[in-house]
Amino acid sequence: MINGIPLYWYLIVSAALFCIGLYGVMARKNVIAVIMGVELMLNAVNINLIAFWRYITPTSISGITFAAFIFVVAAAEAAVGLALIISIYRNTRSVDPEKIDSMKL
Amino acid sequence: MTLQQILFIVISLVVLGSAVLVVTTRNLFHAALFLVVSFFGVAGFYVLLDAGFFAAAQVLVYIGAISILFIFAVMLTRDVITAQRGNSQWQAAAIVAGVIFLIMALLLGPFSVTIRGREFGNANWPFAMDGNAIKAAPGNFVGILGTGLVDLNQYGVPFLLAAVLLLVAMVGAIWVARELRGREAERAAAETAVDDADMDANQPVQEPLPLIETETHEAHDSRNAAATEKH
Repeated sequence: MINGIPLYWYLIVSAALFCIGLYGVMARKNVIAVIMGVELMLNAVNINLIAFWRYITPTSISGITFAAFIFVVAAAEAAVGLALIISIYRNTRSVDPEKIDSMKL
Repeated sequence: MTLQQILFIVISLVVLGSAVLVVTTRNLFHAALFLVVSFFGVAGFYVLLDAGFFAAAQVLVYIGAISILFIFAVMLTRDVITAQRGNSQWQAAAIVAGVIFLIMALLLGPFSVTIRGREFGNANWPFAMDGNAIKAAPGNFVGILGTGLVDLNQYGVPFLLAAVLLLVAMVGAIWVARELRGREAERAAAETAVDDADMDANQPVQEPLPLIETETHEAHDSRNAAATEKH
């Protein structure tokens, strides 16, 4: 199903998705929104990996294996990150990343 | 234009538009819902890339599990749900993200800009960036992926490590998010109070620190009330 779509279309869309996620990570004022940005970035990486696998090495499984591992890491990251946020919220009643600084030197 | 190209453009508009809404809406609950739309569009990309297994995994893992986690987290931190749109450095963040995107686009795309007589972009990659995929789609790639993941000579060990990572993450998440009770809760509350006294000496305290004890008490009370209502 890839007739007529050049590889760089996928790469540019995933670059845009990555940068939107990066903006979310840097600019949001709520830790949950920051983690949403991280998820967008991981999705961009996955699009890249699968596009490269399909266009360049469709006979090798390295690309899709990496993509599968990114799924695993994203799930683990979301679970632990959101657990941390709930714990922090319970203790400080705040989810502002600028206020969560008790580990700062 | 082929049908695939039109599909690609529609899907990328959906993905990028909802991603922009995810990082800009004030209401975090709406942001979580737009995140679901964005994930769904990415699953569409996987279908276009002949990776049906990954499209299914995307729907199951991201839409089925991760976004539910997000919605739960948004609901549990509800009184701060309408946060400000961005922090004090959002303009700098937008500029940095835009510049990084321009650099990546110039590196990846078949176009270039000329600044002071020097051409930037249109990089010479060792593979065809603008060509279509010539090779045929692999037929049974899920089977190949599965055997590769359990074969110790290929990706068996990383696969086991990924399983251990998931287990550790699950146990860790339960441990971190558990509700403290009794003496543990008192100790944690005391520690938090000391921390805040240390750290925020120059900032006025906005509200008294909620003790975890009282919180559990309230929860207990409301549960009792619900029970009596039922009776």
